[in-house]
Amino acid sequence: ELREEDIAPLLDELVIELAESDVALEVAEEIANRLREELIGRKIPRFSDVRSLVVESLEKAIVDVLSRGYQPLDLIAEARSRSPGNPLRILFFGVNGVGKTTTIAKFAYMFKQNGITPVIAAADTYRAGAQEQLRRHAEKLSVPFIGGRYGADPASVVYDAIEYARARGYRVILADTAGRMHTDRDLMEELRKITRVAKPDYRALVVDALTGNDAVEQARFFDEAVGIDFIILTKVDADVKGGTALSVAAVTGKPILFVGTGQKYEDLELFDPKRYTEKIIGELKQKS
Amino acid sequence: MPGLDDIRRAVSKLLKRSGPYENIVNEFIRDLQRALISADVNVRLVFNLTKRIRERALKEQPPPGLSRREWLVKLTYDELVKLFGGEYEPEVKPPYTPYVIMMVGVQGSGKTTTVGKLAKFYRGMGYRVGVVAADTYRPGAYEQLKQLADRAGAMFYGEPGSKDPVGIARRGVEELKQRGADIVIVDTAGRHGYGEEEALLDEMKRIAEAIKPDEVVLVIDAAMGQKSYDLAKRFHEATPVGSIIVTKMDGTAKGGGALSAVAATGARIKFIGTGEDIDEIEVFRPKRFVARLLGM
Ligand SMILES: Nc1nc2c(ncn2[C@@H]2O[C@H](COP(=O)(O)OP(=O)(O)OP(=O)(O)O)[C@@H](O)[C@H]2O)c(=O)[nH]1
Ligand SMILES: Nc1nc2c(ncn2[C@@H]2O[C@H](COP(=O)(O)OP(=O)(O)OP(=O)(O)O)[C@@H](O)[C@H]2O)c(=O)[nH]1
Ligand SMILES: [K+]
Ligand SMILES: [Mg+2]
Ligand SMILES: [Mg+2]
Repeated sequence: ELREEDIAPLLDELVIELAESDVALEVAEEIANRLREELIGRKIPRFSDVRSLVVESLEKAIVDVLSRGYQPLDLIAEARSRSPGNPLRILFFGVNGVGKTTTIAKFAYMFKQNGITPVIAAADTYRAGAQEQLRRHAEKLSVPFIGGRYGADPASVVYDAIEYARARGYRVILADTAGRMHTDRDLMEELRKITRVAKPDYRALVVDALTGNDAVEQARFFDEAVGIDFIILTKVDADVKGGTALSVAAVTGKPILFVGTGQKYEDLELFDPKRYTEKIIGELKQKS
Repeated sequence: MPGLDDIRRAVSKLLKRSGPYENIVNEFIRDLQRALISADVNVRLVFNLTKRIRERALKEQPPPGLSRREWLVKLTYDELVKLFGGEYEPEVKPPYTPYVIMMVGVQGSGKTTTVGKLAKFYRGMGYRVGVVAADTYRPGAYEQLKQLADRAGAMFYGEPGSKDPVGIARRGVEELKQRGADIVIVDTAGRHGYGEEEALLDEMKRIAEAIKPDEVVLVIDAAMGQKSYDLAKRFHEATPVGSIIVTKMDGTAKGGGALSAVAATGARIKFIGTGEDIDEIEVFRPKRFVARLLGM
């Protein structure tokens, strides 16, 4: 039967290894606590060692967190089923520089590949070059672009895009927003206003997979201030160990549905909780 | 102005135990490790650092007039500040002119924005500044830097539509020097350099060979996690890093990844970015940064 003393050092070690994979410390510790409760008093099957038992439970726990609220989403089918008066609206937000605009271009490409032309709304009227950046993508992808002058009200850009789509029968609107620090009250209020006007079907939080412990704060703040329907993790190609995924899923209980794996339009993949778990603890499993 | 007092408070927060000294030290070390790991300092770096602090705390005697607890605070402070290259603010005045700065860093870290900020900063010191748009990958990168250069009152060089970052950089530096720039800042495309991006590190090297920058600046996002160490090391191996700028310090991130980058490169942090606006840049203050790492 497993006693606290048997597993405590092992759990301490796991917490450190998770932290090295960029799982936020508070999330790593929460998972360790869960394992502790689950494992104490358990009988150890003969011929198996404690470490592999613990790692096995850890793997289950991670898959569990990453699968919470997970449901494959068929955005293509959803867009097709929309009546022209009621286009599918997806709003993208997140902190500065995570990859929102690029991800929108990837989404536009994905829809186009499936025969659906989306309208892009460039509601970042703030950052230098933001309008030109998205306009250039829209041109390359041959999809309609609705922008605004720098300094214009971002909500009105989204409104214009919705009107445009309705009038011409487009079934999807992808709305970009300016990057903003989650702690900035005014900007979060602005984002809420955009959300009120856009009435998005989906609010997508974009998170950079290189983010460390702050991922927890970002996810928490945005979820509280505007709400999140799903999460997109970008820059996964940067040789990341993937713990950021666990941090954001654990804090919000919202599913990660897509990952960005490069700078090209094709570099957008569906998130797979099992495969991703392997990424996070693959090395750790090998050691046991 | 935060200083030793803030650090003392931060450390005291961690020093809440009582009992035999060795227990206090051990508990303190554990809490310090937790604080630094949740601030994103590289895990191995945390263990090396705290091992040193623990050994010194147990072996050495506090100097006269200092209690053992105060001694613990001072030790921690000294060791941390030492990692940042000392407690004094870095020199940011270029040692000579014309001076060429090349910005490098991962995608979205804030390079282009920081070029604008530096241009404004050095304009304010009376230098003539020119900037070069050598990111030929990201759509709109040219316009982004052009708009920032206008705002900063800096000269601008770019070749819209070109696919030749090395050539742009070379011609830009040459032309801006000719136009009388004291400081030329070259913006480059974001890259991480792993996997399929290996070739981009090579490209970065070729840009550096073409312009022979006086200083390569690594731009690091304060929110970056454990990857900071390895990433900075790879960049440093490709183009030796002269200094570091930490961006997005206005958020909740503690910036421990930047400390890892310092350890990996031996370069000093010179500036921090504290917002999106062109004025939101500050000269790096080691004490304040250490206080933040410890959760102030
Ligand atoms: N390697 C890699 N780079 C990415 C990925 N997604 C985005 N990027 C890059 O990250 C940088 C920033 O991307 P943007 O799309 O401009 O980010 P953003 O969130 O819109 O930025 P702001 O609007 O300024 O807040 C660009 O250089 C993109 O090419 C990804 O999955 N992998
Ligand atoms: N809040 C905040 N945002 C910043 C800061 N520095 C840069 N940013 C923002 O971060 C985002 C990315 O900045 P860029 O300058 O485009 O980053 P980059 O490194 O040039 O990106 P790539 O060229 O795509 O690699 C933009 O939204 C900037 O406004 C800062 O100190 N604070
Ligand atoms: K980033
Ligand atoms: Mg953007
Ligand atoms: Mg840039």
